[in-house]
Amino acid sequence: MNFAKSLQSALEPEFTGAITAIEAPAAGRLFLDADRRLVREISKRLVALGGRYQVSIGCDDTSRNGSLGLIHTFAFDGHGLVVALRTSAPADDPVVRSITPDIPGAGWSEREFMDLLGLRFEGHPKPKRLVLADDWPPDIHPLRKDVPYNLVPPSAEDAAYQFDAAPEGTTTIPVGPFHTSLHEPAHFAVYVDGETIKGCDYRGFMTHRGIEKLCQTQVGYNEIPFIAERICGICGSVHATAYAQAVEEAVGLRIPRRAEYIRTVMLEIERLHSHLLWLGVAMHLIGFETLFMHSWRVREHIMWLSERITGNRKTYGMVVVGGVRRDITPELRQDIEVVLDKVEAETRGIHRAVIGDTAIHRRTRGVGRISAEEAVAWGLVGPVARARGVDIDVRRDHPYAAYDDLRFDVPIADSGDVWGTVHVRFLEIFESTRIIRQAVAQMPAGPLLTEPDAALPPWKHGLSLVEAPRGESVHYVITGEDNRPERWRVRAPTYSNLQAVPRMLLNNQFADFPIILGSIDPCFSCTDRVVVIDLKSGTERIVRRHELEALAKRQPE
Amino acid sequence: MSIVYALVNVSVFFLAAPLYEGLSRKLTARVQSRQGPPILQPYYDILKLLGKDRIDSAGNWVFRVAPAAAFASILAVVGTVPFGFRENALNSRVDTITVVYLLTFGGVAVILGALSSRNTFAMIGASREMVTMIMVEPVLAMTLILGAVRAKSLAISGAIEGVAGAGFGASAVVMLLAYLLALQAFVARQPFDITEAESEILGGPFLEYSGPQYALFKYYMMLKQMFYAVLFVTVFCPFTRTGVYLMDMGIQLLATLAVFVLIALVGATHPRFRIDQAVRYYAVLILASLSAVTISVIGF
Repeated sequence: MNFAKSLQSALEPEFTGAITAIEAPAAGRLFLDADRRLVREISKRLVALGGRYQVSIGCDDTSRNGSLGLIHTFAFDGHGLVVALRTSAPADDPVVRSITPDIPGAGWSEREFMDLLGLRFEGHPKPKRLVLADDWPPDIHPLRKDVPYNLVPPSAEDAAYQFDAAPEGTTTIPVGPFHTSLHEPAHFAVYVDGETIKGCDYRGFMTHRGIEKLCQTQVGYNEIPFIAERICGICGSVHATAYAQAVEEAVGLRIPRRAEYIRTVMLEIERLHSHLLWLGVAMHLIGFETLFMHSWRVREHIMWLSERITGNRKTYGMVVVGGVRRDITPELRQDIEVVLDKVEAETRGIHRAVIGDTAIHRRTRGVGRISAEEAVAWGLVGPVARARGVDIDVRRDHPYAAYDDLRFDVPIADSGDVWGTVHVRFLEIFESTRIIRQAVAQMPAGPLLTEPDAALPPWKHGLSLVEAPRGESVHYVITGEDNRPERWRVRAPTYSNLQAVPRMLLNNQFADFPIILGSIDPCFSCTDRVVVIDLKSGTERIVRRHELEALAKRQPE
Repeated sequence: MSIVYALVNVSVFFLAAPLYEGLSRKLTARVQSRQGPPILQPYYDILKLLGKDRIDSAGNWVFRVAPAAAFASILAVVGTVPFGFRENALNSRVDTITVVYLLTFGGVAVILGALSSRNTFAMIGASREMVTMIMVEPVLAMTLILGAVRAKSLAISGAIEGVAGAGFGASAVVMLLAYLLALQAFVARQPFDITEAESEILGGPFLEYSGPQYALFKYYMMLKQMFYAVLFVTVFCPFTRTGVYLMDMGIQLLATLAVFVLIALVGATHPRFRIDQAVRYYAVLILASLSAVTISVIGF
């Protein structure tokens, strides 16, 4: 009896009648439809059975059945299974029981759908605004179908987010909305006693541009990979691949094996780029500028290589639904191998320097330490979880693309601190080079694209996981009519990891704030799901240097 | 005539301090496989800042006066160094305690400027600067006191010559080590750039400063760094003395460059310490410098 079956038989007697339907449309996926009154109990049971909470997806079904949908997903990593627990609440009584008291990592997802859909969560410990701007009218929920994508409500001057009250005896240090160690707008109110951090509140989503809404209303299936790629400037391929896989899974499209291999190569090149970039930033945050510069010098090789493979240094534009756009030729294969040798040798040099530097150990060991149990409870993912001894990696646990053909190790550290994240990421760089070498050597010949049908069937659910450099990315697609998804939900890894940062900061020194936050490799743009595109012109245009200079010099009006 | 030597001192410091800064930035860049700014960049920076509008962001007189006070104090200090091993008019009028006092005054001016700006980050920087001053200045004071004990005079030129002028004793060797280990902290470079810590507190005490006032602080920092380098050369390298004033000066400037190379290399190969880690390190240095003075009192 496989695990999905045994899970069903564990749940069914306990929740007779509450689970109204069970379907397993694809391998490794189980969809449960449940009564909203028992969602909390079923979720708790799923976690007790070994499930790892991933994300919640809210959707507006009012036009079809007058209800708002809510889906919680749970991964069973040892069994290659993801369970989606679907429920719904009538639009005139949109109340669901909160699962956050049992599963702290669900806090943001639920707050997001309070804002965007107008769902209400009974028993949520912190029902504050998360995503919407402070002056957004409280009764307009942008993800509702009757709200136009380009609605601009009047702005208000006096609206401001109320940070949590500072604990007694502490002073507040504002980190953000703009701060050199953040690189992107986000606001942390850090409560310190002397230089010791006693608490922290976060206000982010300052550049939320509603990319999900945009893609659900304005563009077609095959434009979205390119928009998805622009969710994040660093793990673009991850989002494009995850989206494409979700659509392919929803409609049952098999893509050519060669395309899967090429996706794998691009994902790993992206990981090399991302980890080297992170390493530089991390060294900068602890004031070690020399290693910052050298990591970025090594990273430059990867960017030049990417340009030769894809035409772009970053944001590769390789993935479409059904396959990839460009091939890896024999000459490129040779090029890749040469560059990998160089990158690996130079990274080993940096690795030796870091390992041997006692000062780096002093700045990272015991800093931001949390236990493996807490890491699991908060649903941490990626190197941040693996540094706490949590042995998860989507590439191995829920294989996608060509990873089932490739041999690689999943590095784990048990120090539970920032040093662990440094250590794990170094080893992952070497694993990535190993994966790319195997992939280019084993890649089967064949076409690059399986053309999808002109009209994809509506109301199919697809869920895809991709191990981004920062951890697991989850994309959930519900296919729709009009050649575009009815609902597309993106959960980048930072969305999970950032929620646990206040816990990691507790009782550390303020001087360690940048590196602790930096250790999760935060990507606020992923979390905010930003995109800027010009819908009116839609054409590509190269901005020349003098234009940029003119823009930069323009007087504010 | 001897007042001329004091003026020469001040002019040499004035002209050379940005050059040393420029050279050390260039060297740092090369270590980091970067091109680096032009060697004259610090002069350009100062000129640019001097040409900007004065912005009084705090709106109180302490904030306005602090940069000038820091700058004035460091000028007074550099005037007293017997540069080129030549005594000048100031040497005979100030003693060791005055020099330590004037140096501390510069640090206090930085702290007052930061506190008066009422910026959270500047205040954190100020509190770190205060800790650094309390923990690091003793090493400097002990160096001069060691010289004073050995020369049996509190006059600054005697104290400076006294440390190693008549050959290195055990005390001078211990002090040399303590001074070298404190050097990065004296000049506020990595691993002890804790007060400014750009990625944590955005430049700390100087955060609210801009324009001419910031130029004064920048110049103050460069002069201070050069002072500590020159002091090291004068105190611990008396054997370079030839007796010819211009030659002595040339040799000392070159030796100072060597000290800056050392500072840049150490700075480029270390991450920043946390203040609590730095304090433990400073405590060891204070103990070492105290024991050096004790050894000298015994007579070595």
